[in-house]
Amino acid sequence: MRIVDTKGQQCPAPIIATKKALKESKKGETFLVLTDNKSSLDNLIRFLKDNKTEFSAEKEGDIWTLRITKKTAEVQHSEPEKYCNTDIPHFKRGNFIVVFSSDKMGEGDEQLGRLLMINFLKAIKELEILPKKMIFYNNGVKLGSTNSPVYGHLKEIEKMGVGLLFCETCVKYYSLEENIKSGSLSNMFEIAQVMASAEHIIKP
Amino acid sequence: MLMKTDLLKMVENGGCSAKISPFLLEELLNYLPLPEDPNILVNIDTRDDAGVYKVNEQLALVFTTDFFPPVCSDPYEFGQIAAANSISDVYAMGGTPVIALNIMMFPSSKLPPDAYREILKGGSDKASEAGMRIIGGHTIDDLTPKYGLAVIGYIDPDKIITNSGAKPGDYLILTKPLGTGVILAGQRLNIAADSDVSEALRLMKLLNKSGAEIMAKFNIRGATDITGFGLAGHAMKMAKASSVSITLNMNSVPFIGNTYALIDKGCIPGAAFRNLDFAESDTEFAADLDYNLKMAACDAQTSGGLLISVPGNKEKKLMDELKNSGLTSSAVIGTVSDFNGKSLFLT
Repeated sequence: MRIVDTKGQQCPAPIIATKKALKESKKGETFLVLTDNKSSLDNLIRFLKDNKTEFSAEKEGDIWTLRITKKTAEVQHSEPEKYCNTDIPHFKRGNFIVVFSSDKMGEGDEQLGRLLMINFLKAIKELEILPKKMIFYNNGVKLGSTNSPVYGHLKEIEKMGVGLLFCETCVKYYSLEENIKSGSLSNMFEIAQVMASAEHIIKP
Repeated sequence: MLMKTDLLKMVENGGCSAKISPFLLEELLNYLPLPEDPNILVNIDTRDDAGVYKVNEQLALVFTTDFFPPVCSDPYEFGQIAAANSISDVYAMGGTPVIALNIMMFPSSKLPPDAYREILKGGSDKASEAGMRIIGGHTIDDLTPKYGLAVIGYIDPDKIITNSGAKPGDYLILTKPLGTGVILAGQRLNIAADSDVSEALRLMKLLNKSGAEIMAKFNIRGATDITGFGLAGHAMKMAKASSVSITLNMNSVPFIGNTYALIDKGCIPGAAFRNLDFAESDTEFAADLDYNLKMAACDAQTSGGLLISVPGNKEKKLMDELKNSGLTSSAVIGTVSDFNGKSLFLT
């Protein structure tokens, strides 16, 4: 099998090498791309998804291996929303969920609470095992608004494969329908179900 | 024996590609209190890159700064590009640059003093071309060289051009072709044509002065310059600040030389992916939009052109003037409409 070794290379070199291999492969052929650079990996994944190319990713030590199979472009016309939610395999997720009932972390000074929440979400991204889902209700839904300071983090966490559920009643109550552009809207039954079936619930 | 200095050997990300992530920036700015003062006419509230401060009814000051690591090998050329880029915000707002300070970070243990002098000479020559005086500056010893200016310009408080001035019915004109990020990345990998590299360098050195003069003549109120966030990022910021929707027709966007072919080879700099992440939640991409054009719209530009929002009856005359002034690649690339769900449409 062809191996495209891009270790030690920075963007855009790994993408150029991958694109070349894609062009030269026959339909149905599989090849591997190796990288040791996280941002190259992110960009490669983004590139492959945007071009509707089939791939899987594995991490061993400091090296990621992408297994890419060439398909004809017209075969796969997946909905963008669907492929954005596709789990990226190399992020491990555990059977626990995080519940956000407020846009601030803890009680006390509001500004401090907001700052802590930003740091909390940053820390989530660094966890070795990510939560299965994150649930947002009451003031918590404001975190998901496009003008929220943590919106970028939430999108990243979602891309890592964590499901985001926003209480629909709350989103409507705060008139945020236009501003929730990640995750999915959810009802109380689903929220109760997800909470009941999780091993642990974390509430910042 | 003097070795020829190659500034590119010293950096990973040059020019506006080295900007901090737009997400991170927004997040940080959200926690910075905005100063309140009736004389502040433009602040970071609308995410404009420069501020405007009113002195009296006839005069306001545009104040801006920009600096970055090298985009080219030659120190003199780097100085010119960094200065042109720093002054650009003043032009984009309709101001006249007056005075500036040098901002320099220089690895004195790694580069000869000649390189330092050449960078400053490039900046000083570009300042003269802009009719501006450099009256001081500050240097720090640092591992990676970085250079730019803090610029003050004069502006009539009633004639300020901002990114919040785009009106439904306007046309959008871009004054320089896109592709500096892609071509500079291609140059590092030795896959960019020499002619494209020199054209990119020429465009980055080109002041947005004539564009600004023509905007003043046509009483333009809405414009922005295209730099690190790419065409898509800056157009999206403009649409948001103006509370309108912007549609860009990517097939009418001019490119430097073989930019498209380079992107098609996969030469897509990391900054373009960062800009895509930034713009996409407020952007709708046409289902049949070519992937290479989409990524071209996200390419970070260094010292890019002006994106001018011009009322529907003036766009032909303004285009003629731009072309006559030497901005021959100028093109009408989009339109402005009432807000209809997404800030930016790329077709």
